[in-house]
Amino acid sequence: MLEFDLFELTKATVTLLVGLTAVLASLGVILCSSPIYCALYLIGHMICLALLFLLYNAEFIAAVQIIVYAGAVMILFLFIIALLGGKKEVQEPSLERSLAVLFVATMLGELFLSATVGSTKPIEGGFDVETVAEVGGSAKAIGLELFSRHLVSFELASVLLLVAAIGIICLSKFSYIPVRRRMK
Amino acid sequence: MGHQFVLLISACIFCIGAVGFLIRKNPLVMFMSVELMLNSVNFLLVGYSHFLKSMDGQIFALMIMTVAAAEVVVGLAIILTIFRTRHDMDVDHINTLKG
Repeated sequence: MLEFDLFELTKATVTLLVGLTAVLASLGVILCSSPIYCALYLIGHMICLALLFLLYNAEFIAAVQIIVYAGAVMILFLFIIALLGGKKEVQEPSLERSLAVLFVATMLGELFLSATVGSTKPIEGGFDVETVAEVGGSAKAIGLELFSRHLVSFELASVLLLVAAIGIICLSKFSYIPVRRRMK
Repeated sequence: MGHQFVLLISACIFCIGAVGFLIRKNPLVMFMSVELMLNSVNFLLVGYSHFLKSMDGQIFALMIMTVAAAEVVVGLAIILTIFRTRHDMDVDHINTLKG
């Protein structure tokens, strides 16, 4: 077996590199002092994740990731930072922080153990790559599933978005004046 | 790449997000860490939807994105309201309701 699949090898290398870049960018998010750099690192992280979604044959989710996260949510973050002034945060080591890092490191060890040791019997569905291509792309396959088997959760998500919209209108319009009165 | 790669990468990103939420004091950066955790779960779901040949993981990721968008919008509105009254960006100083 001297010959190997160059396509598969390239794909594995690219997946590994993009995954490591995503991890490094997320480290940048929590280690930078200035919130504007954190936001920029987060945008890089989300673009890396969109690439990973593409590598795992989820084109529609990758497009939604770019549009919703890297587009809408991060623009919102950047506007809020511009509005509030991105002041640098002083980060000094303290007991609470070391305890937090220790706690999460333990959690990471447990996650690694459970990821590498246990094996479960997979239950495979009916949407392999050929079926999705036959249906007409991942967006159409998601639509077929979403509007038939997951219709209730779709409607609940629309109600959730409506409630969030009403909530921020109430927060930004009505809550300011009573707070001011109380402060006097 | 096998499914253990997906598990390890998303576990790393989730734990980095958890550390960021615990050690940072700027509420905006804490929100970004929450986004990191949600994104790592999204990656896990999409990867497993590829390995198990099912669309349910991608639909779940879509739902998580909806919840995350709603959560970010409400959270940023709350941060903005707090900042308009206090002009302070440190979660340790927001202790008015503390008894």
